Amino acid sequence: MEEKIVAIVGNPNTGKTTIFNALTGSRQKIGNWPGVTVEKKEGYYIYKNIKFNVIDLPGTYTLTGESEDQKIAIDFLIQNKSDILIVVANGLNLERSLYFLILLRELHKNIIVDLNMVDLAEKEGINYDLLHLEKLLKVKFVKTVGNKNIGIENLKEEIYKRCKEPTSEFFIFNYGEEIEKSISEIIDIIKEFNLSYPKRFLALKILEKDEYFINLINFENYKKINDLIVKLEKFFNKPIERVLIEKRYGIIHGIVKETLIGRKKELKIEITEKVDKILTNNFSGPLIFFLIMFLIFDLIFVFGGPLENFLELILEKLKNFFVKSDLSVWIISLINDGIISGVGSVILFLPKIFLFFFLFSILEDTGYIARAAIVADRLMHKIGLHGKSAIPSILGFGCNVPAIMGTRILEGKKDKILTSISIPFMSCSARLPVYLLFTSIFFKENQGIIIFSLYLFGIIVGILSIKIFGSVFLKEESLPLIIELPPFRIPYWKNILIETWTRTKYFLKKAGTIIFVGALVLWLLSYFPDPNNYGGESNFIGRLGSFISPIFKFSGFGFWQAGVALIFGIYAKELVVGTFGTLFGFENLSNTLSIYFSPISAYAFMIMSLLYMPCLATFLVLKREIGIKWTLISLFWSLFIGWLFSVIFYQTFTFLTGG
Amino acid sequence: MTKIKRLSEVKEGKYKVIDILKPGKLKKLSNIGILIGDIIEVIKSGPGPVIIKNKNTTIGIGYGIAMDIIVEKME
Repeated sequence: MEEKIVAIVGNPNTGKTTIFNALTGSRQKIGNWPGVTVEKKEGYYIYKNIKFNVIDLPGTYTLTGESEDQKIAIDFLIQNKSDILIVVANGLNLERSLYFLILLRELHKNIIVDLNMVDLAEKEGINYDLLHLEKLLKVKFVKTVGNKNIGIENLKEEIYKRCKEPTSEFFIFNYGEEIEKSISEIIDIIKEFNLSYPKRFLALKILEKDEYFINLINFENYKKINDLIVKLEKFFNKPIERVLIEKRYGIIHGIVKETLIGRKKELKIEITEKVDKILTNNFSGPLIFFLIMFLIFDLIFVFGGPLENFLELILEKLKNFFVKSDLSVWIISLINDGIISGVGSVILFLPKIFLFFFLFSILEDTGYIARAAIVADRLMHKIGLHGKSAIPSILGFGCNVPAIMGTRILEGKKDKILTSISIPFMSCSARLPVYLLFTSIFFKENQGIIIFSLYLFGIIVGILSIKIFGSVFLKEESLPLIIELPPFRIPYWKNILIETWTRTKYFLKKAGTIIFVGALVLWLLSYFPDPNNYGGESNFIGRLGSFISPIFKFSGFGFWQAGVALIFGIYAKELVVGTFGTLFGFENLSNTLSIYFSPISAYAFMIMSLLYMPCLATFLVLKREIGIKWTLISLFWSLFIGWLFSVIFYQTFTFLTGG
Repeated sequence: MTKIKRLSEVKEGKYKVIDILKPGKLKKLSNIGILIGDIIEVIKSGPGPVIIKNKNTTIGIGYGIAMDIIVEKME
């Protein structure tokens, strides 16, 4: 079948995702752009016997070389990988979309502008003469209402037609005599460089003082260009970038005025305004923010918990089925202790992950996330992060896995890496059983305070990590906050379900394959060479436990069982409890543990359980989100800091109490 | 008392954008549709991010950027 590539771009809040979903339905997958941490969304549809592969480029307002997602968009467009480019525009704010269109016209020949959300614009009395727009801008316009599926067939037909007969001309936006003269001179200067960008585009970018592009040419040549710029700025008596902006917007204002049909009313968004005042107020804002976060947190557990128990029950039943079967003992152990326990530990995350993405998409679709970013910005700014980082961080207390996947909402690479590195230090629900077990034995009197102190300790280590890695490794500036607050709207269920499903599917596929191998390895280590003593000292895992236990002598728990428990804790942190149960026997667990541990070493062990390496599922998503290099850094950092703090704690308190 | 202030310092009300100090910020703000000469309405003032209404859109602006936007109070 013939295949065509369709790329979609657009400003945030133009309904770009809705158009993408309307075109492709659930035939989509997400991944990352090669080598970077920006999300890549792809899908396809078939129309008139042609397979159209649709690529959703990052939502952006402009094309500069300064941010990772914009660089991707530029590179994708200049390598002309797409047969056609759909620019999604918002009828309520056409000026801004046209501004973006003018920049895009220098990069791509075959463009369709999709004027989306026309129903909202029409309600406000805004309507445009499309034919006139087409004539002025020499580009095809199509009207759609993405969330009502209006105009989508027409859009598909136009895409089809334009793919069959593409236009071959670049649209030339005329900047006026003075500037045009300079542009040709710059083109003359840079023509010796064999760069893949269209010459005029590159000349404009250099004229605009875009550092990324300036760095592509050598200094000698830039000096010549700089002379031109100085001359131009003298002529206009303004910085040249301001002149270019004003030229573009000047023409755009003219075009919009000329093509606007009907009278533009002053928009009635007073209610939104009032609500916004309450949501972002310095007092009520944070209160509402934490209330909503708490609610999400709570809903994930209220609904996720029973679902998880249900899945657990199925896994139990499955195990029982194998125990009763006629298979040989080792196969049963392989299936039950290895595969079902290992793969199950990941599958058990599914309900919570699904719920998290479901609830999160609702917040995003209603427009609350943008407000939340405003509220959190003040606090997060102090530790050097973008306001939006607060959202995944807080959700880390529920489960680190969806929290790290949630860092996809962050645009800046620095924010994303730092937030992802700090999330594993947030005490997730799987750490709670460990805390509960030890505090119930050693700190009966003030269980609550002790547990709370561990939560707090994790936050402190998280902030510490952000500070250290932020200042030492990632010198680049955190992106300043400029965020559009879209009008509140009722969530569009199709979007939410597709979003939730695509992300959950992605987690399952990734985790499912790798964990299978991991589970096999751990099982082999636990089962051999002494099959009758699963996980015991005589097996490889026990030996490994004995081998690593001397490291923990300084933390007060240098015995092999603690080592084995920590190794199993890599699966999932709650397995630390289960492992002690298996090794010491569940009946006398408290008595046995109080022989092995003192209150001080118990607390040191809890610190270790909290901080030392992320669980397997977290590890997998980390690798996916921030790449193997940063994941390994995070891994060794957490092992080191966990060990260090448990030693410091144990030694200090042993010394203080005269032990 | 002068009517010209930084956006980060002003109270709620209507203002005219007179200047944007850093070229990088000028470009960023123009991409989202905020230009010199625009009439804006401050919905939430600093400290912390400032929220403004410009044409048909509401935009949140971090304190650091708001410091470089110079505005004049409209009567």
